[in-house]
Amino acid sequence: MTKVYLLLGQAEDNINISQTLVNSGFEIMQAEGLVEDVLLQINNFLPDLIVLDSNIDNCEFIIRQIKSVSQNQNMQIILLLDKNSSCDFIGLADGLIEYPLNQDVLLAVLNSHLKIKKSLDRLYENNKELSKSLYQLNVLYNTSSQFAGTLNTDKLYDIMIEAMEKTLSFDISSVLVFSSSSKPVFNLNTMYMPSENLVNALKIRSLLNYKSMFSNFEIPRIFEYNDIEVFQKTKQMRSNQVFGLESISFDSLFAPIKVGDDFFGVVELFRKIPFTQEDVTCFQAITHQVALPLRSAKLYEEITITNKKLEKLEKLKSEFVSIVSHELRTPLTPINNSLEIVLNEQAGAISPEAKNFISMAKRNIQRLSGIIEDLLDLSRIQTGKLDYKYKLVDITPSLELLQKTFLQVAIQKNIKIDLKINDKLPEIYADIRRIEQIFSNLVTNALKFTQDGGTISVEAGITDAKDIDLNKLVMSKIVPSGKYVKISVKDTGIGIKKDDIPKIFDKFSQIESSLNRNKGGVGLGLTITKQLIDSHLGAIWVESEEKKGSCFNVILPFADELKVFEMDLMHNLTNNPDTGIIKINFDPKLNLIEKLKENNLLNFSCLSREVLFKNNGMNTYIVFIPKISEGSFEAIFATLSEYCQKIKEAENLGEYDIMLKKLYCFNKIYDIGLVTKL
Amino acid sequence: MKKILIVDDEKDIVETLSFMLKAKGFECICAYDGEIGLSMAKNESPDLVILDVMMPKINGYKICRLLKFDNKYKDIPIIMITARSQDEDKIIGEETGADEYITKPFEFSEVLEKINKYLNV
Repeated sequence: MTKVYLLLGQAEDNINISQTLVNSGFEIMQAEGLVEDVLLQINNFLPDLIVLDSNIDNCEFIIRQIKSVSQNQNMQIILLLDKNSSCDFIGLADGLIEYPLNQDVLLAVLNSHLKIKKSLDRLYENNKELSKSLYQLNVLYNTSSQFAGTLNTDKLYDIMIEAMEKTLSFDISSVLVFSSSSKPVFNLNTMYMPSENLVNALKIRSLLNYKSMFSNFEIPRIFEYNDIEVFQKTKQMRSNQVFGLESISFDSLFAPIKVGDDFFGVVELFRKIPFTQEDVTCFQAITHQVALPLRSAKLYEEITITNKKLEKLEKLKSEFVSIVSHELRTPLTPINNSLEIVLNEQAGAISPEAKNFISMAKRNIQRLSGIIEDLLDLSRIQTGKLDYKYKLVDITPSLELLQKTFLQVAIQKNIKIDLKINDKLPEIYADIRRIEQIFSNLVTNALKFTQDGGTISVEAGITDAKDIDLNKLVMSKIVPSGKYVKISVKDTGIGIKKDDIPKIFDKFSQIESSLNRNKGGVGLGLTITKQLIDSHLGAIWVESEEKKGSCFNVILPFADELKVFEMDLMHNLTNNPDTGIIKINFDPKLNLIEKLKENNLLNFSCLSREVLFKNNGMNTYIVFIPKISEGSFEAIFATLSEYCQKIKEAENLGEYDIMLKKLYCFNKIYDIGLVTKL
Repeated sequence: MKKILIVDDEKDIVETLSFMLKAKGFECICAYDGEIGLSMAKNESPDLVILDVMMPKINGYKICRLLKFDNKYKDIPIIMITARSQDEDKIIGEETGADEYITKPFEFSEVLEKINKYLNV
């Protein structure tokens, strides 16, 4: 019903107004008392129209007072005015009616102003809606960028609740989700302290909501009321107001949090003031928005867990090999000793047959320990635990010793071992024990595959990179450059099938090829040999013809300064895969810095004395900060993006050319598998 | 007669080793764990100790350090037996002051050679 407030003087015309209005269906209120009372009455009555007699005292003041209150903005004030009189506050009123009053005119004016009032009200409401929608959109926009910024599940839920609180100003939110440990978690956010009954009721309700999402057999995670962990947050802790069980009858919104088949939980909001259609849209938008990053977070979590498992497995594997080898060695010791006691007849005389068999047992014990040794070596190489002790060494004595060592076995098998050293061999930078292991492995192999009456010739000399047929190098990590010492071990044995040649350096290659099975060994020798040679920046290749024999060729680089530097570098990288910074100590006598400078590889004037080296993995680069005074380098690993940033900086400084030159300065090698951990 | 103390929890190793050493004319005393080994090293005044690394109670490294850093016993030669043959172990062996190490499984001739080096037999 339209409400009209009447503030009239003593004029005769006024007497009938109220009756006319009541008859026309208006609800009216007549002013009483002083100015203050009038304003109070208007505030309480909230009329649509005010009819005001301009002849009353303080009329202008009253109009101004009414208009100054914002909730009265749309009220229409109709001024009753004496005919032809002037009144300087006419402009303040919304409508005018002159005395003497005509009932029809009065009603017409009031009705038209009523229409204006209604239109204004609608406009005001629409405006309010619009600004609310705008605000919601704004929050949604901000929220989506917040969602994109994290892969932390808990944080995503926090952002979701915060967004809902901002846009929907709920009184209660209940969220049932699963934490990473798949335990159901119930998050309750309330404006006021909830009663215990309410918390329990909401908990049950969310559980039922969850179950209602699925048919009985399809519930992704089955759990009961008591499994749910409750987290409560109350906004106005200090308020005396409490939410009791009746709060559950507030208007509510409910939605699952899911994307595709990935289900994350359910969320329900309660609000005393009913939700509008816009609120519903906003609510759905937020629940949709959170589901996608939740899925990403879940995938990310799964990948992280898998990665950790893999890392652990890899570590376990190498530890396993090491422990097994260790456990195998211990019982071998008394076996070996006991056989020796019996064989030496310290425990009494034995027959020649017995002696023969005991010798056989003893030989096989040695073979077994050789295999264990190989396994250990391989496990150490793979885990980067093999410690090379590089020194400048002459390999000639080692080759001579090698010949002597194997002479005994060779004579037994009626095989000749020749050694030919063609040039005066220079010193190489190497771990001599490992070099001896390489040659010993190659000769052992040759002996294994060569029949009685055959010949094994070991030949050593000097060669140049340009004389090496690169096609023969199997999976070599280096591109040979400069001068090398070349050692060949040639036999007149059974040879290797052409198809098998690329495979012989693979792990356990002998096991796979049944042909050679009867020759014994597990096929780790060549794998280890190749790895050892790789570490020495050398290369190995084989030339072979079936039934005629094989020739294994090994090249090891001359110990020039850069090669020495690279080997130390690689050794450090292999042994410190976890650290971002490594130190390379170098011999000041090697004049490495001078050499780098000469070759224009080092220019201290640019980029705060950093030198960049290229890595063959194409996405890992190493930055060196030389600390010349201390005789060491510090190297910091840099990713491609970091490198590009540096390129950009350099470009701005006009030093682009220098950077590129440096980038390609080492046309090599570092094993990407070892360097990627940054 | 030179007295050699063998400390190893692997009884078979101790038995075969002492058998062979006795055959070569040494007197052998044996301990099967680190604690007894350490007290025997201190009280039985052996001329040389053969010490396993991995043992219950007190491990070989520790015994070696305790003996080598004690002026009273530091001159007793110690040969460590290691199963791992890893360089780090060898270094620790050197750091603990052990005079020699041998790797399992070992040849008796190797042990004998090392013993003779210290006992001048």
